[in-house]
Amino acid sequence: MSAVSAELARIEERVHAAQGKGGRLYWVVLACAVAATAIGVYSWSRIIRFGMGETGLNRPVSWGVLITDFVFWVGIAHSGTLISAILFLFRARFRTAVYRVAEAMTVFAVATAGLFPIIHLGRPWFGYWILPYPNERSLWINFRSPLVWDAFAISTYLVVSSLFLVSGMIPDAAALRDASRGWRRRLYAVVALGWRGTDEEWRHHSRAYLFFAAFATPLVISVHSVVSWDFAVSVVPGWHSTLFPPYFVAGAILSGVAMVLTLLVPLRRVLGIEELVTQKHLDLLSRLVLLTSLIVTFSYGMEFVLALWRGPRMELDTLLFRPFGSYAPLFWTMVLCNCLLPLLLFSARVRGSGPALFVLGILVNVGMWLERFNIVVTSLSHNRIPFDWSTYRPTLVEMGITVGSFGWFFTWFLIFLKLLPAVSIAELKEEVGHAPDPALAAEAVHAS
Amino acid sequence: MPREPGVLGVFGDVSLAAQAVRALRAEGMEVRAAMPAPFPELVAAMERPISLIGLSTLTGAVAGGALGLLLAAGGSWAWPIVVGGMPIVSFPAFLVIVFEMAVLFGALTNFIGLLSISVLGRMRRGVPFDPRFTRDRVGIFVPGGARRAQELLAMRGAEEVRDVS
Repeated sequence: MSAVSAELARIEERVHAAQGKGGRLYWVVLACAVAATAIGVYSWSRIIRFGMGETGLNRPVSWGVLITDFVFWVGIAHSGTLISAILFLFRARFRTAVYRVAEAMTVFAVATAGLFPIIHLGRPWFGYWILPYPNERSLWINFRSPLVWDAFAISTYLVVSSLFLVSGMIPDAAALRDASRGWRRRLYAVVALGWRGTDEEWRHHSRAYLFFAAFATPLVISVHSVVSWDFAVSVVPGWHSTLFPPYFVAGAILSGVAMVLTLLVPLRRVLGIEELVTQKHLDLLSRLVLLTSLIVTFSYGMEFVLALWRGPRMELDTLLFRPFGSYAPLFWTMVLCNCLLPLLLFSARVRGSGPALFVLGILVNVGMWLERFNIVVTSLSHNRIPFDWSTYRPTLVEMGITVGSFGWFFTWFLIFLKLLPAVSIAELKEEVGHAPDPALAAEAVHAS
Repeated sequence: MPREPGVLGVFGDVSLAAQAVRALRAEGMEVRAAMPAPFPELVAAMERPISLIGLSTLTGAVAGGALGLLLAAGGSWAWPIVVGGMPIVSFPAFLVIVFEMAVLFGALTNFIGLLSISVLGRMRRGVPFDPRFTRDRVGIFVPGGARRAQELLAMRGAEEVRDVS
């Protein structure tokens, strides 16, 4: 057996073995995720049973934690596409070992985000009214409304990211199918769709994958731009800004990559894939966090600069309400988490420390959730009419649904880890094939 | 699917497999391969034309975009309510729908195209199944199978050469 084929076999064995790892810890975490989901379901059931009065929403704040959650989860989804599609087009090889986790995260995060507009309706059984279906009741689908754009964008994003994930997994499932037995073999056979690895299949697969990446790249930017237009197209002070689309996209990448770090740091230890997902991968991802944090910090500053420079008086008032009004603690926590703490990543020592990256990833996501809360809530609670101002406080039901969304996301994610390959086997093997000297084959994987 | 007769060589080294492909093709033989990953060296040696799957993808994307425009414009004409002084058919606003529908249908036809063209490719240009070809080995198959093909495969470092009938 040559060194190359030995390395190819070893990659597959490692990924295969990773699915069996985790032990009791895996089941404990899964049980916690299912319990959190149950809390979310119970909380949602209270809204269904007793109405929107179960939330803290009231005039003038009609969008609160539920819409904050929606924007947050759409943001989390973005890094997956960034890592899998955009970095693929740029031929950034370091994505190879980490993109599958990010892609799966995208699919489950979009599936989570998509629930929130429906939950927020209060009467979820009417959710389909936003879709343009033939009807006899003269329901008006306003194609000029960003809410309708949102429905199209999120559904498209869910479908495209799922297809992207599945098509990338076909060769890996075939490899696992041929190495498994029992129900796993049957499962992989379904996902592999009869794949045999012929040059004819690879020829079409490589091309189709390129097209998926080419579609997903503008799509990912469009989706969060559309989400930002939910706000920016309105005339509410603090929302009506052309800065929003790039600001939202940068924020989405920041939160998404931070989430990838939060997931990968423990996963590589628990699943025993340190050799495949190396410290170098974490280092490069944390540089991406640092870059997007700087862009987000710039955007925060620009909001104030634009309001001071030529903005209407109300715009500046609303923006000043954020750091000095009733939500000031949340604003300053956001600044700490999104602007100041990521600066630690300038230090190679912090970038090289798994625990530090894990904690930083969580804090950045706390900051990003607060950023969305700041955008959604402060602008509404401090709108144009002073007698209408009020402070919105989320209820336990809303917080329960938020906890439930994390449970829902992690339940699917953990099931995915157990059933399907968390690392792209075929692309890692391709890296080995790149190495001209068999002795360098193993190194190629670690250096990718 | 009936089994096609020929000669199958199994390689543990991608470079040797690529050399074998070049040698076989130089003698005018039809060569097919199966491999665990699209190794660039081997793909280059095969010199296959670029896949035309993009045609179905492009058709789907154009049709999706057109459908999106039709849906948005037609839906707005069916309920002609003026909002904010904008025209009933507001192209800038509809561009979002057109784009999303183009991407959705483009991606769907890309996936359907991938599935159907791969199945057709497997039927027309198959390689005998061997689980090692999705794991750690490269298979080089010469349909029809001449004695010369066996010699070339063995000479170029195949770990195993066998007749498939």
